[in-house]
Amino acid sequence: MEAISPASTAPEPAAKGRDTECRIPPRKAALASDHTPDVTLPLRFIVLGLVSFVTATVWLAFRPDLLVAYHYGPHVIALTHLVVLGFISSVVMGAVYQLAPVALETRLHSERLARIHFWCHLIGVPGMVAMFWIWDMKQVGHFGTFFGLGIGLFAWNIARTLRRARRWNAVAYGIASSTGWLVLTMLAGLFLASAKCWPRINPLDPLGGLHAHAHLGVLGCFVILIVAVSFRLVPMFLLSEVQSERRARWSLHLLNLGVAGLVTTIALKSPWKLAFVFFVVAGLVVYAIELTAILAARKRRSLDWGLRSFFSSMFVLGVLAVLGGVLCWPTLPANGFTTRLENVYGFLALFGFVAWAILGMLYKILPFLVWYRAYAAEIGRSRVPVLHEMYSHPLQAVGYWTYTIGLAATALAMAAGSEPLVQAGWLLLVAGVAVFLVNAGRILRHLVRPQLRPLLSAPKRAAA
Amino acid sequence: MNTHAPDRESLMAALRQVMDPELGCNIVDLGLVYAVETTGGNVVVTMTLTTPGCPMNDCISAGVEQGLLAVEGVEEVEVRIVWEPAWTTDRMSPEARRWIGLAEPG
Repeated sequence: MEAISPASTAPEPAAKGRDTECRIPPRKAALASDHTPDVTLPLRFIVLGLVSFVTATVWLAFRPDLLVAYHYGPHVIALTHLVVLGFISSVVMGAVYQLAPVALETRLHSERLARIHFWCHLIGVPGMVAMFWIWDMKQVGHFGTFFGLGIGLFAWNIARTLRRARRWNAVAYGIASSTGWLVLTMLAGLFLASAKCWPRINPLDPLGGLHAHAHLGVLGCFVILIVAVSFRLVPMFLLSEVQSERRARWSLHLLNLGVAGLVTTIALKSPWKLAFVFFVVAGLVVYAIELTAILAARKRRSLDWGLRSFFSSMFVLGVLAVLGGVLCWPTLPANGFTTRLENVYGFLALFGFVAWAILGMLYKILPFLVWYRAYAAEIGRSRVPVLHEMYSHPLQAVGYWTYTIGLAATALAMAAGSEPLVQAGWLLLVAGVAVFLVNAGRILRHLVRPQLRPLLSAPKRAAA
Repeated sequence: MNTHAPDRESLMAALRQVMDPELGCNIVDLGLVYAVETTGGNVVVTMTLTTPGCPMNDCISAGVEQGLLAVEGVEEVEVRIVWEPAWTTDRMSPEARRWIGLAEPG
């Protein structure tokens, strides 16, 4: 036997008994991953999400008045659900089906259930949005039941997957927490819709219930999920490591405690909600410390535009925490400016934090899914593009700055209550989204027109 | 039956064709390949990946297998993925470090 060391510094492999070995049978053709579902599953959720996002942004370009209108109205609620359920939930749940098995190092419990979930989602969300628009709450409940069934399937699938996790770390804990909050958000939404049909069943103030429902969804589900998966993704992309698992867990403990208390006190319209804002802020501060430590320990120095979007969204999250504290202040006067600040708060939560973080991470997730579908079987046989060659970096930079300026301009115009300025700012933001979509199109084009090139040196084996 | 046993240069050249798609660098310069052993036409590659649970696990392993099977004299390939010793960026070649934009090792 002849042993070839690829480099003089290459270490000796460990003793066989200690290794986690994966013996690949010769000429095995199947390339389906051991852990992840078929990429068409997350891809269909993501494409649905992007279609919803485009619909919502174009819609708002024609109806900028919705961004300055009082938020408790049919059209604003319909649009909010299009963004939250159509865009954010679709992308997030599709990504979780892909990322949870990777992060937890186990298989997804059932791909079949996930595919049924997609159809429930596809029927439920457009129906809910349309029925909110015409304010037919009975039909909202009917379509919401389809959506809720999908959430139930998602939660069951993820819970069963979590049970198989090799390690119960901060990532697993965060995914479990956010899934629990997601189920509660859905149940709260169905309850609020039912209470519109039968007001007697709701002892709470409807506006308080709506605000509690919104915080359950955005803070409980999306913030906690994004924080949790970032403990896996950010170190993976930057070649770094979580610096303190204990700190990571504490950030999630504090956020969970904050969500539970904040949502309860908001629903009850209690002045104690300010106390729970401090738990949320404390959780975010601990998270920021850990994220900074991960960044400081990174081996990969440069930050690409996708990660810059993600970190920018984290800055917005900090702004939101401060703004949330101000809006909870017991002596805050209830006037027109306060109402506009509430709109800015909701706008920044959806478009400044969640959507921006998602757009940033999509520059990582979407190329991977498309690459896997188009090129995984060709690796070693042909020269295939690497992930960052699948889209334009200058366009990515243009999109980042356009979105940033559009976001800031829209938020300021909303605070000032100027509809023309809101429209101008929003059109800039739409331009940023359009640039992202051009890049997304470039990525997706690889599915239909793969760019395969011959290997640099031709194989020496003679043709059979 | 092959009359030529695979030579080192051909095997390493084939392995250098297998790229990590996220990092955009080949697996040899990344330091992912720990050892390549040959017995006649049989080749055993012992390698690792940048992170446990890497979603590229299967396609990189299959790429190694396919790439080596194209080399003259190779009849069978076995890819062993090991996590010990764990991969670190210190295993990367200077060229790979420059290409990816890594800090110089301290």
